[in-house]
Amino acid sequence: MKMRKLILWGAAALVGACLSGSGLTPVQAQPSSKADSTLSPTNSVELTAQAPDTKPAVLQKQLTGAELYSIHCNRCHPERYPTERTAAQWKTIMLHMEVRANIPVDQSKLILQYLQENSGR
Amino acid sequence: MKAYHLMSGLMVAGCALALPLPALAQVSLQDFNALKDVVQQLSEQVQNLQQTNVIREQTHEQDMQQIRQLQEKLAETQQIATNAEQKSIAAAQAQAQPPTREPIDEATVNHNFMMLGDAEFQYVKASGQHGGFALADFAPIFLYRGGDNILFEAGFDTILQNGQNSDGTHDSGSTTSFDLSFAQLDYVMNEYMTFCAGDLLLPLGTYSERSAGWLNKFPDDPLAVSLIPGSGVGVMLQGGIPLGDAGKLLNYQIYGVNGPSSSATNADPTSLDLGGNVGLKSDNTVANLHGGLTGGGRLGLFMPFKPHYDLELGLSGQSGEWDDAGTYLYTAGVLDWALHLGPNFQANGEYILTRYGSDQGFIDQQGWWGQVGYKLAGLNLELPAINNVELVGRYDNLHNAPGSNGLGANTGRYTAGLIYYFTNTLLFEGDYEFLHSNDPSQVDQLILQLSYGF
Repeated sequence: MKMRKLILWGAAALVGACLSGSGLTPVQAQPSSKADSTLSPTNSVELTAQAPDTKPAVLQKQLTGAELYSIHCNRCHPERYPTERTAAQWKTIMLHMEVRANIPVDQSKLILQYLQENSGR
Repeated sequence: MKAYHLMSGLMVAGCALALPLPALAQVSLQDFNALKDVVQQLSEQVQNLQQTNVIREQTHEQDMQQIRQLQEKLAETQQIATNAEQKSIAAAQAQAQPPTREPIDEATVNHNFMMLGDAEFQYVKASGQHGGFALADFAPIFLYRGGDNILFEAGFDTILQNGQNSDGTHDSGSTTSFDLSFAQLDYVMNEYMTFCAGDLLLPLGTYSERSAGWLNKFPDDPLAVSLIPGSGVGVMLQGGIPLGDAGKLLNYQIYGVNGPSSSATNADPTSLDLGGNVGLKSDNTVANLHGGLTGGGRLGLFMPFKPHYDLELGLSGQSGEWDDAGTYLYTAGVLDWALHLGPNFQANGEYILTRYGSDQGFIDQQGWWGQVGYKLAGLNLELPAINNVELVGRYDNLHNAPGSNGLGANTGRYTAGLIYYFTNTLLFEGDYEFLHSNDPSQVDQLILQLSYGF
């Protein structure tokens, strides 16, 4: 009985959150370049966030590979620097992370492009 | 006298010259007109010559302008010729040298093999026991990518431990355990769906997929994860569906596996075996240990607000037979959450609930864990040593767990510690665990661990 309640409440919370759709605050950080990324000693990439001029414009903005990298990679582990791997290695690793973190293919490709463009070799 | 004669002679000569002048000054009209005509003709000729000269000057100026234009065109032509020559030289040099590396092109190789993983080394001092170095763990993950859509991945766990007799007493020497943590083939079917087959890390919560030593902020597992299987042999469909353009994702995973089994073939409550039933029996025959498969899945919602600020909620569960007779079901449900508030703060946890039938009735077990971590770099203290430190804390508990005296152990545990990041993947973890339990084998302990992710 307790488990049934847990599952029902959990399912209701998930459905409610999904239905809320764009009501959640969207991602606001601007695309980052190497220049505006700061690597902290604890390996966190701090992206310079800028307030959007208008909210509707932000809603239409497509996330860049750098932003998606910052959003997804920090979910489970300290971020790995793009320079740590070669472009070919990143391709294999991103396929692994695409599966492990359930990242859609399009987003995975943008992250891969960002990593490869800033890769070590 | 001589001067006088000279002056007289000059005067006579002057008079002689002056006398014919009136006759010479007289010009006839005819001569005058003729002279006038000559003058007019000369004037006209001068005017003509002047006009001609003006025309010639204009012509000269035009010629000079044309010459300047031609010179400019010649300079342009020479510049173009020079550029073309330079390009030609550069092209020749480029052909002679190896091509410049282009990252995207380099990645077009159609396969790649890699090894990732982690390694840990521990020191443990448990209350009432001698302290000692406790763990030398090497856990590689092998990846083989075949093209753009196929990946084979396998993880191993190699641990050195003391030699042990069959009755559990200490034997001489040491042994090395070598376990297959997971081995799965992944095929990306389309944008939103991936098919996986093999020994799968089960998505009951997220801990089993994020428990590698350098990923976990604590050296040991939360107590409650012992209630659920970490992996299972079977197949799975999974993927992520974007909800809008802001990065929000709906994650799904649905799987079918052999499921847990009984270590004693019967349905005694203590014989539940979550890690067995891998399909290949000890007599080398292939079979499920019970009649039915176990089905399960997870539905997760990932909501990023901006980079490093996100909330993830997940609900997962599985249910299936576990005893050989197929009489009873093992069912598990997990609610997981994770919160990031900036690059320096993270909180996450899970609530786990299980129930399984047995010859002694239903067995209910539950537990939860929650942990937080704060990196002191967020304080901006300009102190390098401090900036590399993360403070961590965890509370976890477990109710009705199998303990040294059988089912019924209830344990609560507080853990406080820190992580020092030598690099982004080399970290030192130090934790002290305060336990409250009715299981006497559960005691307070200090754990120090060096972790490396590669």
